[in-house]
Amino acid sequence: MEEQVQAKNKFVVPIGPQHPALKEPGHFEFTVDGEIVVGATVRLGYAHRGIEKGCEDRNWAQGMYLVERVCGICSHIHAMTFALGAEKLANVTAPPRAQAIRLLVGELERIHSHMLWLGVQAHEGGFDTLFMYTWRDRETVMDLLEMLTGNRVNYSANVLGGVKCDVTDPIASEILKGMDFLEQRARYYLDIVSTDETFLGRTRDVGTMTKEQALRIGAIGPTGRASGLERDVRLNAPYAGYVDFPIKVVTEQGGDLLARTLVRVKELFESIRLIREVLDKLPPGEISVRMPRRVPEGAVVSRVEAPRGEVLYYMKSAGSDKPERIKIRTPSICNWATVMATAVGHKLADMPMLLAGIDPCFSCSDRSVKIVRRDDEQYMTWEALRQYGNGFYR
Amino acid sequence: MSELSSLLALMIFPGGLALLAAGLLYEWADRKLVAQLQNRLGPRWFQPLADTFKLLAKEEIVPQGVHKGLFWGLPVVAVAAALTAALYVPLAGLNPAAAFRGDLIVALYMLSLLTLCLGLAGANTYNRFSVIGATRTLTQLFSYEAPFMLSLLGPALVAGTWQISSINQYAAGNTWMILTQPVGFVVALVGLMGKLELPPFDAPEAETEIVSGALTEYSGRGLALFHLGKDIELVIGLTLVSAFYLGGLTNPLAFLLKTLALLLILAVLQSLFARLRIDQTVGLWWRVGALLALVQLLLVIVLKGTGVL
Amino acid sequence: MKIGVMINDLVRSLFSKPATEKYPFEKRPAPERLRGKLYWDPAKCTGCQLCVKDCPSEAIELIVLDKVNKRFVMRYHIDRCTYCGQCVENCRLECLGMSSEQWELASTKKEPFEVFYGKEEDIQELMDRLDHASATPQNRRD
Repeated sequence: MEEQVQAKNKFVVPIGPQHPALKEPGHFEFTVDGEIVVGATVRLGYAHRGIEKGCEDRNWAQGMYLVERVCGICSHIHAMTFALGAEKLANVTAPPRAQAIRLLVGELERIHSHMLWLGVQAHEGGFDTLFMYTWRDRETVMDLLEMLTGNRVNYSANVLGGVKCDVTDPIASEILKGMDFLEQRARYYLDIVSTDETFLGRTRDVGTMTKEQALRIGAIGPTGRASGLERDVRLNAPYAGYVDFPIKVVTEQGGDLLARTLVRVKELFESIRLIREVLDKLPPGEISVRMPRRVPEGAVVSRVEAPRGEVLYYMKSAGSDKPERIKIRTPSICNWATVMATAVGHKLADMPMLLAGIDPCFSCSDRSVKIVRRDDEQYMTWEALRQYGNGFYR
Repeated sequence: MSELSSLLALMIFPGGLALLAAGLLYEWADRKLVAQLQNRLGPRWFQPLADTFKLLAKEEIVPQGVHKGLFWGLPVVAVAAALTAALYVPLAGLNPAAAFRGDLIVALYMLSLLTLCLGLAGANTYNRFSVIGATRTLTQLFSYEAPFMLSLLGPALVAGTWQISSINQYAAGNTWMILTQPVGFVVALVGLMGKLELPPFDAPEAETEIVSGALTEYSGRGLALFHLGKDIELVIGLTLVSAFYLGGLTNPLAFLLKTLALLLILAVLQSLFARLRIDQTVGLWWRVGALLALVQLLLVIVLKGTGVL
Repeated sequence: MKIGVMINDLVRSLFSKPATEKYPFEKRPAPERLRGKLYWDPAKCTGCQLCVKDCPSEAIELIVLDKVNKRFVMRYHIDRCTYCGQCVENCRLECLGMSSEQWELASTKKEPFEVFYGKEEDIQELMDRLDHASATPQNRRD
């Protein structure tokens, strides 16, 4: 390694797996020429926990709580995707009130996630004051979620066949009060990120990605929307309550970090509007229906728009009370390529903001690991796998 | 007798222990103010002291491949330089422990020596973050040093002397120079922030990019000494700027009020901006800072020449 | 072009109390729905084991002493519990509930993490059996 670097006269700056810029493990190597980045590589796989395999060993209800822990920030999204998929397999439809509450928790979670991201982005850019204020105000929405569902992070609002928590009048009025405060703060943050010259100096024209590039790389979520891609599962393939409560997609044309920031801050307003609408027209009725323990044979793809982009679950049932196969594709994994594509030519100082700009979730990314070697085959027999394992750990 | 008093001046007051204590307290005040501005609690008053003791008690890990003498020596030189500079400034509003014609230049160079030591300490190791940190430290040194010096030369020219204590006396007897040379004051204040590597000029030690910059490989005693050096630099910088621009420092109360007021302004500035990239820092200093300071200086010279001042 | 947009917030904060709560000294009341420590009421339990089946972290065991006379003891492992509330949802007889007051459950020792619920005499009997079991050498499943 050292010789290589010397020979090519390149200077490689490693960021991660342990680095103050990253709160989760991931490894990035930036080849720099002075302060200018001339090459970037990514290596993931430090937070692989075997969740997909773990699901096969648990029944459907247990599996939902396991996938809720794929990501700490979009926990509701994962549980909801799983529940929606399992319900579709079992031919069960959750009642409208449950669907609306799923939407409500999902949008509250989006607010919490975007505010968290804004703080992280500010911190990466050395703007700790903005970081402290956004995280202080994020407490409001965390408290609302705790009041509504009973927990601040892993809400466990879903059960198979509906939701656990109902929205009562006092809770609804508390949420509306919180939304008023958050809307006012969000407007303030929009003003800061779009006018403060020092922050603009760090975000404007950094990591610019054109619409064509975004399409080619497959950018999704706010990262794609910042490049003008009008893609949002909530609108394109509505699920849960989004059928009755359509959203307006927020897009920006800039494609740089500024546009990504603006998209996320403007999505706060959209979420707040949606929450108000849902609370205003909450359908009456039951909040859950009975779900069979054994799910009929079949396979289904369940898609949901997480704060970071599209979450995709492939779920296969063999007719037992346990899933046959769960495949999870999280949004972060789709967006990594955008960082690597846009990093070259920027300053080293921009790298943390660029990395944080896609709102990465490392534990989301690490679903499975495949180490490709020269003589690797696509499939391994059990015997070959055993021999490989024995050799690897010798 | 004079040997004893010089020894006292060096070891206890105003140099030595009193200065270290003041440095730690000012660091605490700075952190506390920033915390208050960010609506959080901030550290308790003894936190910087506790940090220093902890670091001094820790094992110092000397990484492979460094020049051992430099690794050990640079922190000592850095603190020594800062302590020496303190002898020429009117700490606590009292007369400086030592004074001679042109000590302003010596004091400024002593302060730059600290930054130079920091840069060398970073360049001494093989650590990539340290090397980049060192490059940035030295780049920043070259960018803020000239404007900062020019901004301090303004008052010196007006007072007609390059001796800190005389400028202090002149400032105490005349209109506050923040009013007569406002541009110089702003440049000096912002220059001080650059010198201390405070946000938004903290690119040389930006933790989200290069961990801890030049000090990444320092763990125990060396880190403590560098931190102490920075704290002393903070006190000296505040003293210099308030002595020159805020009507001089003639008694301890005035010293306390003026430096703390200045510290509050520093804290507000620290928490108001996003970090500047090193190229933005350099651009800002040479395109704006140096130019403004130069114009101010020329104006002072011309006015002085025509006899207005 | 503006700089220092946050100055309003800074000035306001300078004269207001920090937002930080000094947690162990000041506590905010937990919301009513908070999912804290699980509790179990043996009176109505039929021993259907639905709560045990769906527990994602194997935190509860319903030990059957006498199926006919409905004598059960619940062994609850606080350290394994993820506080998801699935068991409460599953119980049709509302024997289970989660406390919104007992949520400071951290401990430096292992013992407080194992809780037995049930009637006094049932727990006593279970304890005697367990003591007996640990005295005789055999494989105990944990």
